[in-house]
Amino acid sequence: MDTFLQIVANGLMLGGLFAIVAVGLTLIFGIVKVINFAHGEFLMVGMYLTFLLSTGMDVHPYLTAAAVAPALFVLGALTQRLLIQPLMSARDEHVQIFATVGLSTALMNLALLVFGADIANTPAHGVRSQVMLGEVRILTGQLWVFGAAILLVIGLQLFMKKTRTGRAIRATAQNRAAARLMGINDKFIYILTFGLGAACVGLGSSLIAPLYPTSPTIGTYFVLIAFVCVVLGGLGSIPGAFFGALVIGLVDALSGFYIGSDLREAVVFTIFLLILILKPSGLFGTRMNLSHVSP
Amino acid sequence: MTDTTSMTQASGGGLSAQKLGLIAVAVLLAGLIAVPVAVGDEFVYHIFITICLFAALSTAWNIVGGYAGQLSLGHAIFYGIGGYAGVILVNLGISPWFGMFAGAAVAVVAAIVVSWPCFRLHGPFFALATIAFLEVFRVLALHFRELTGGATGLMIQLNIGWEWMVFRERLPALLIAFGMLLVCLAVAWAIRSHRLGFYLVATRERESAAKAAGVGTVKVRLMAVSISAALSAMVGTFHAMYLTFIEPESMFSLQFSIQIAMFALIGGIGTVWGPLLGAVLLVPITEFARGALGSEAIGLHGFVYGVVLMLVVLFLPNGIMGVVHRFTSGSEKTEGEQAAPVAAAPRSAVPHEAGREVMRVEGLQKHFGGLHVTNDVGFTLREGEILGVIGPNGAGKTTVFNMLSGFLKPDEGRVSVLSPSGEWQEPATPADFATLGVGRTFQIVQPFAAMTVEENIMVGAFHRHPHVGDAREAARETAHRMGLGPYLNAEAASLTIGGLKRLEVARVMAMEPRILLLDEVMAGINQTDVRRAVDLMLSIRDTGVSIIAIEHVMQAVMSLSDRVIVINSGQIIAQGDPHDVVRDEHVIEAYLGKEFTHA
Repeated sequence: MDTFLQIVANGLMLGGLFAIVAVGLTLIFGIVKVINFAHGEFLMVGMYLTFLLSTGMDVHPYLTAAAVAPALFVLGALTQRLLIQPLMSARDEHVQIFATVGLSTALMNLALLVFGADIANTPAHGVRSQVMLGEVRILTGQLWVFGAAILLVIGLQLFMKKTRTGRAIRATAQNRAAARLMGINDKFIYILTFGLGAACVGLGSSLIAPLYPTSPTIGTYFVLIAFVCVVLGGLGSIPGAFFGALVIGLVDALSGFYIGSDLREAVVFTIFLLILILKPSGLFGTRMNLSHVSP
Repeated sequence: MTDTTSMTQASGGGLSAQKLGLIAVAVLLAGLIAVPVAVGDEFVYHIFITICLFAALSTAWNIVGGYAGQLSLGHAIFYGIGGYAGVILVNLGISPWFGMFAGAAVAVVAAIVVSWPCFRLHGPFFALATIAFLEVFRVLALHFRELTGGATGLMIQLNIGWEWMVFRERLPALLIAFGMLLVCLAVAWAIRSHRLGFYLVATRERESAAKAAGVGTVKVRLMAVSISAALSAMVGTFHAMYLTFIEPESMFSLQFSIQIAMFALIGGIGTVWGPLLGAVLLVPITEFARGALGSEAIGLHGFVYGVVLMLVVLFLPNGIMGVVHRFTSGSEKTEGEQAAPVAAAPRSAVPHEAGREVMRVEGLQKHFGGLHVTNDVGFTLREGEILGVIGPNGAGKTTVFNMLSGFLKPDEGRVSVLSPSGEWQEPATPADFATLGVGRTFQIVQPFAAMTVEENIMVGAFHRHPHVGDAREAARETAHRMGLGPYLNAEAASLTIGGLKRLEVARVMAMEPRILLLDEVMAGINQTDVRRAVDLMLSIRDTGVSIIAIEHVMQAVMSLSDRVIVINSGQIIAQGDPHDVVRDEHVIEAYLGKEFTHA
């Protein structure tokens, strides 16, 4: 029973980590309607920035978020302005997919060029120490990540529901043309949203960096899992992505223990495929989002 | 997308440009052999072998990713299967010349298993699903160590000689790689210039219109992925022999899959020669960079690939082939559309003797949630009869049409069609209806935008004429009849709405249907065109075709219809002679409200 509880706790903590990556991805998808294949590389860039800042200035990695998140906001906004926006009216979706795939490939290999294939360890500053919660052991860093993910989800929801800008963002997502008629600058909204989505993963990267060694290819692993969480939670739904991430974290931890640690990914991706094919609106999808499924 | 111009040129016009293109391709291919032989350097050989392999893989990918428009980012699955099949069999003492066919067979099975459930998914979701499948294959390859060697990989037993595909010199390897490239190009070219290619592009452009034209959309896509997977696996087998060592991380690699797709995009996605061009241009640059800068430049080639990919989608979305075509077919611009004469002679509606029954519709019911959109609709259609269907907006006319063509399944009731051999059948799918000779148009026009007018009509003509030559001839004839003659080589996307409506009818006419369902083909076109369309429909009817036409243009309905059905709120409220029906109180009420019934 203790082992089981420990595994569940590990799974939930892992889920929190996935969530903080997935939230930005689902935000961008839900509003801009673009799947950002470079999202994992945004995370990777953020983790390297955290590594450089925290080792260079010898500060706690969490403090670097104050610089990393704005930097990622700029990266995201530039991506939308320079790469996605010119392609928004493209006749087929190929070009948008290839655009972000190209960005992903370029960023990953740029990191290889600059940092080499070796891993970079961000100093832990105590977040890798364990705390006991009843029977289970958890890293303090994991708890911080989990808490931050919850706050991020709540914060984004409040922003989207309560503020003028948030309402403008939602209006643009629902009907771009109508939003424009209401005087909303849709291009600005898209740039802002892409920036916000990237800033979310920037925040996440400062929290994740002390827990995971940074490498040029770390983004690939996280982004594929984040896609799974996003689809599971219902595309574009921020709370959905959070709960999807918790489910995937649990599945990952449980299947790693009961089926075999080398088959965890196979289980996760099989679930992903089943959801995509059988219930594309996601497990928690309240409204149908079937725009990608033919009638 | 760009692929249409390659077909248009074959149809006349830029014949010399086409010849020039073929010569250029021949020179390019000859260069792939001649340059390394002339230079004689090991490294140059290696680069050219790599070019051939990537060009072959990318050409194979293009059959699915380009022609069929299913953006697979998991094609390394098939390449990896081919590689593992080859190596495992070689280590059992079986020649890779057999192994590559074994690998191809396994890859075809995998392709069908992977793609079938994913065809419902569009664009990025299909891509994501293929990535997920690729990850599953990679993880399984790592897991089943007894078979694959797991993470440590598999070495081949070094038996040298042609039967083992392993050589001391580089030339034989180059010849094999080149031969594989030729096979892939030949297959890709053959598909593109035959019915399958047209069907794939039509399915990519408008799935529902393709279905209405009798295309088995799932079947043609499965054929495309099977062929593509088999070719990829065969190349994979050879590449494994060339590398002499394989491991899951390199055989089932996402980066590798992306590269394969990338060459096609850069060269010109959906074109026959684009993938070859992409590989010829990019592989040398990056391989030289890798060779010259060595391990210091790890990541450089990937960085170049990524940047080039972004630049291409931003500035050359149609790839290099798009640029080539801009120069070769610049003169072939289509002028603004003028009214082209319709070849049908003017005539007035004479009372027409209707023949035997050809379609029976009984008790159709359809609910959308709580909405009862079709309530007990039933009627019969006779040979050579024009049946007008009118009714206010939202009355449920198009829903009935969708049930008469297999696009919607009725909750209750049935639709039977008299087959040419004289039996009553109950078709279920759009393909069944098309086979029985039921053709339909769509209220919202559904052209295959990237195809020319001629090719659009050919998709319909293939229904009766499986060979390209016959289909082209039939399409041209139909086009002239429909007044689309001058626009044969124009892209469908460039037509005006009137032209698109005529194209919609021309495509279904080319199917030579026995029953024609026309959904508001006259809405939004001008008076002259309406009169022409009326004449045309009468001339079609006189050839023995039965027509059901949904129409709001009353002038047309009155002069055309032998009989009229009025639908309101999903029910038939009146039917009979058009002149009687318009005086019917219920009909006036339905259109204008109660107070007008005595006006």
